[in-house]
Amino acid sequence: MIADPTQFRQLLWAANTGVGIFLLVVLEVRRNYRVYPAFTFYIVMNLTQAALLYATYRRWGFSSVALWRVGWGTQAVVVCARALAVAEVCRHLLGRYPGIWALARRILLACAALVLLYSGLAARHQWKLALVSADRGLELAIAAVIVVLFLFTHYYEVQANPADRLLALGFCLYSCFWVLDNTILEHYLNGYAALWIHLQMLAFLASLILWTWALRKSQTETAAQEHLLPLGIYQSVTPQINLRLRLLNDQLDKIWKQEVTRQ
Amino acid sequence: MSLTVILFFGFVAILLLALGWALWEPRERRKLETDPRSLEERDQRHVTYFPQIRQALAPADYDYLSKRTSSGVQRRVRRERRSVALAYLDALRGDFQCLLRMARVIAALSPEVAAVHEFERVRLTARFGWRYQMIRWKLLAGFAPVPQLDGLSELVSGLSVRMETAMKELGERAAAAAELASSMNRRGLDVV
Repeated sequence: MIADPTQFRQLLWAANTGVGIFLLVVLEVRRNYRVYPAFTFYIVMNLTQAALLYATYRRWGFSSVALWRVGWGTQAVVVCARALAVAEVCRHLLGRYPGIWALARRILLACAALVLLYSGLAARHQWKLALVSADRGLELAIAAVIVVLFLFTHYYEVQANPADRLLALGFCLYSCFWVLDNTILEHYLNGYAALWIHLQMLAFLASLILWTWALRKSQTETAAQEHLLPLGIYQSVTPQINLRLRLLNDQLDKIWKQEVTRQ
Repeated sequence: MSLTVILFFGFVAILLLALGWALWEPRERRKLETDPRSLEERDQRHVTYFPQIRQALAPADYDYLSKRTSSGVQRRVRRERRSVALAYLDALRGDFQCLLRMARVIAALSPEVAAVHEFERVRLTARFGWRYQMIRWKLLAGFAPVPQLDGLSELVSGLSVRMETAMKELGERAAAAAELASSMNRRGLDVV
């Protein structure tokens, strides 16, 4: 039984690093780094951050200014790498369909910008919490982008590669957990910071396991665009279909209005 | 609980609900026909039955029955008419979903899509879904008395004519739509 929180944290740290290295090995052995270069870069950045933090922690201790600086400095790089990896997964899921991918890209960017704005407005405006708030905003934007991406694939009935789905799911769940965790930590449980750090590390460990499972087999490059329809078909058929959908809507409207007026 | 906590927790809760919905595959979608040509055939089947539905909802029949039959029979007729109205609603929904599916397939396989058409379809879908559920619940709860449904017969005949016209317009393009849907199957974009 591990009673010492410091010991438990170190154990989790080691587990996260171990699984991270194992994931990197899987990426190399299965040659999946070619298919997911941004994701591989993100995992490398994560391991580098862990190594730097561990070295700083050993040298200057947990509450040192150096650890704070190294932590937030590397976190900025890691979050950017996460954003790139998420963009890569988005491209994998929808990139084969240039029409809807072009539309999705614009919507996802707009969605990310709106969520960042929302986070900025919803956060407590204190300078000492600025970094936490910015980080939380980015994580919330990542989660929102992935959810909107899944909504897109659901709406257009795009059959997604299971590996891409699991990667996206791992990012989304971890980002959601991060947001909740930081919000609770910021407001109520500063005294229990260690507990929440442990939970965050456990959540990341779960994501790492999910990603390793997703990439256990070799993935092929996303299929090139093929057998696309001539643009004219969309331009001529879609307005016709929308017209028919409007006709069907009109039928319901008539039933609805009739009942409302007779009541 | 502070407002910030509510705002962040609420947002994450909405995200998780949306994620669950997006990842969940409805049983009816799994059960739908895999043959893309059924999109067109299904639509035509409903048009074929419109005269019978019109007959079932004709006010003259109901007047005739109310004069010559017992109240028990009238109740049964009312119940059956309600089921006809519900079946008609379902048929409308079926038509709507078939068209929607065809539109999505075309959009997915097009090199460019117009946001205005796509958003319009989302709006129409949301509106249709809302109205459909409201009318259905009213029918099921018996809030819409059967005589009030008599107007449906006119709606049905009106729809029959307009849909036949619209189908003629779409007829030339049906082959292209079926072809593109089967091409979609080949490329792994699931029709089901």
